[in-house]
Amino acid sequence: MKLVRKRLLQLVLVLFLLSLLTFTLMKLAPGDPVLLILEADEMSVTQADEAKLRKELGFDQPLLLQYGQWLQKLLQFDFGHSYIKGKPVWDEMIDRLPTTVQLTAGGLLVMVLIAAPLGLLAAKYPGRWPDQMSRLLALIGASIPSFWLGLLLIYAFAFKLQWVPTNGKGSFSHMILPSVTLGFAMAAVYARLLRAGLLESLSQEYIRAARARGIAEWRILLRHALRAALLPVVTIFGMSIGSLLTGSVVVETLFSWPGLGSMAVEAIFQRDYPIIQGYVLLTGIFVVLVNLLVDLCYGLLDPRIRYGKGDWS
Amino acid sequence: MSRSDAAGQSNINTKDGLKKVTVIRNFKSGSLDPHNSWEPLRAGVVETLVRLNEDLELVPWLATNWETSDDQTWVFTIREGVTFQDGTKLDAAAVKASFERGLAASDVLARALKIESMEASGQQLTIVTTEPHPALPSELVNPYAAVISVEAEQKMGTTAFNHAPVGTGPFKVKQFTPNIEIQLERYDGYWDGKAKVNEVLYQFNEDGNVRALALQAKEADIVYQIPAETVEAVQQDSQLRVESVAGLRVHYLLYNQQKPLLQDIRVRKAIDLLLNRESIASDIMLGHATPANGPFNARLPFGSKEAVQQLDPGEAKKLLMEAGYVPGESGKLEKDGQPLTLQLITYKGRPELPLIAQLLQSDAAKIGVDIKIQTVENVDTYLRENKDWDLVTYSNLSAPRGDGGYFLNSALMPGGSLNPINLSSDKLSQLVIRLNATSEIAQRIQLTRDAVDVINQEVPHSYAVYPNLIVGVNNRVINWKPGAEEYYIITNQMDVK
Repeated sequence: MKLVRKRLLQLVLVLFLLSLLTFTLMKLAPGDPVLLILEADEMSVTQADEAKLRKELGFDQPLLLQYGQWLQKLLQFDFGHSYIKGKPVWDEMIDRLPTTVQLTAGGLLVMVLIAAPLGLLAAKYPGRWPDQMSRLLALIGASIPSFWLGLLLIYAFAFKLQWVPTNGKGSFSHMILPSVTLGFAMAAVYARLLRAGLLESLSQEYIRAARARGIAEWRILLRHALRAALLPVVTIFGMSIGSLLTGSVVVETLFSWPGLGSMAVEAIFQRDYPIIQGYVLLTGIFVVLVNLLVDLCYGLLDPRIRYGKGDWS
Repeated sequence: MSRSDAAGQSNINTKDGLKKVTVIRNFKSGSLDPHNSWEPLRAGVVETLVRLNEDLELVPWLATNWETSDDQTWVFTIREGVTFQDGTKLDAAAVKASFERGLAASDVLARALKIESMEASGQQLTIVTTEPHPALPSELVNPYAAVISVEAEQKMGTTAFNHAPVGTGPFKVKQFTPNIEIQLERYDGYWDGKAKVNEVLYQFNEDGNVRALALQAKEADIVYQIPAETVEAVQQDSQLRVESVAGLRVHYLLYNQQKPLLQDIRVRKAIDLLLNRESIASDIMLGHATPANGPFNARLPFGSKEAVQQLDPGEAKKLLMEAGYVPGESGKLEKDGQPLTLQLITYKGRPELPLIAQLLQSDAAKIGVDIKIQTVENVDTYLRENKDWDLVTYSNLSAPRGDGGYFLNSALMPGGSLNPINLSSDKLSQLVIRLNATSEIAQRIQLTRDAVDVINQEVPHSYAVYPNLIVGVNNRVINWKPGAEEYYIITNQMDVK
């Protein structure tokens, strides 16, 4: 419990720094929401109209004051309103969240389906062809940019073979390509991690003892070695959640998947600051919370590092 | 698994007697609130009182005619025999209620229409504006001014309504998935003859390559803005065609007349002569642009009919020498020992603009004019906050609603939002003020043309090209062409073989 309390305190601190940083960076970044709100590209707007709106939005006030006002509202759980849509930021995020979670889950499933067998095979036959294949795949997975992989998949499976649709969200088949795009790059990393973890634990004393007792090799691998090997995997997984949520930006745009990622991209193009801030904060909360969960999971996987009183560092 | 199963719908097959068309647009829409989104109008769900025809002239639509007595009072006659998709009849009271909703929902619309009060009686709608507003009919072309059934909104609730607005158009919304697609079905009671296709799938995807692939996979029939580099591949497919139409945008150079150097009209004219419009259109835009001879597309009724200025370095050099520049020892033009160096600002938001800058730089160098190019992130902010630049490559919609008043007021009158250096010309201002007080269309066209003449004499800008709208179309689609205005995409006339 002490761990949880201390971590929650850390969370608040991290989020505070994060919000300050985003706020400053956004104000420094080029782009003018006022012109976009007024649709100056379409409407006969005067510079006086602009000045008026700038004042209404409080853009004429000192930066620190603007930040303070935003923070004050935030403490009352008010994320503000989107400049462009006028909708509360919170509602917009809650609308989009399930869609992103769905895609993330699809990506994770693909990742596990590829990484688990590949990692196990590679550890079972180190240096032989399954191992080499997994190494090759890891190299490919780590080097292909996801927008390119997505386009290749669309080219092959939607354009040439015409098995699945390119676009949108609806049926199960709509999920295949974006999930594979998202899951493939991660699978490469995890397969190698799993292999390394397995080889490491296979060299341990207790495994040799198990072998001496004549327990079947597969059983040792799955029941004894795997548990210890999952430790580093889980650590990396905590970090992956963050990159999954943000990495989906590219995939969501490509497959026109209406999740948080594409919301953030739209908001950035439109300089819709409240949405961008809300998005950064939300992903920040996720990353910190997942890392907390990961730390708690350690104890379950390896009783030796179960946290005692205060010795959790 | 065939694609039609996978996608949950078949676009191509017409075996079941249903005709379907799939369209992919390049921008998303998260709401179909007709007063805050253009998509309901584009998708043929709602209509406006006035529209643009193929020649981009104002023509009656839900209003059959309009007249004004004193430039502040307008009487619109609403078309008889029109029904909303919920079966209710369209009359002046319904239009009034719709406008009232629009003015409350959209600040932008309220600002554009300047309505003081409205009165409805039968099919006659009287509008009184807050100030003389002769451009009102042109502003009513604005998709935000679409007419919807407020009665239906009250029944459905605003949230549901903004997902499936009820208008008078040939198609009604069957299902809407925000930012993904609108499923449309024919409205059989459409006043102008029911649509030839039964269903339309209107999708959004912001990735140009994916859009082009969907067209090539025959998954989509009409795809907006396919990347120029995919045009060739699309054209090689005998089942597909590419429609490329000159749009309402103009790419141009803006001169910083706050600097004495560019206050000399001979210098501005010389640069104008160095702008190779033909090459920009054919080499930079790969043929998907038309050389410009003024701010407004020459196809527009008020567009300039003059010939396009050709590249003429000899004449440019002559003008500069008249302005006091002589070739120095290095071959560069100099005045009082100072070489003629110009600072040109460009930005990457439209990838062709930096290339236009480079072309101008190289043509200018040939006669000894040195142009230094600087790329900035946000051009509008930069221009407003910095005064050290001489030229900028710029791009704007010059006639979004088939009227020149918008661009003349925003870009060439002091205080306009597209006029960062507060350009002002007495001759031009007088014309624009007269234009702003004129409602008669023929007169407005004449005044706009006169204004373009003044612009071409005074050269505050140099207009380069009108970029095209590039649309990929499956040949099975007939009776359909993209319009330059991008307002009316789904029509009752479009059909499939």
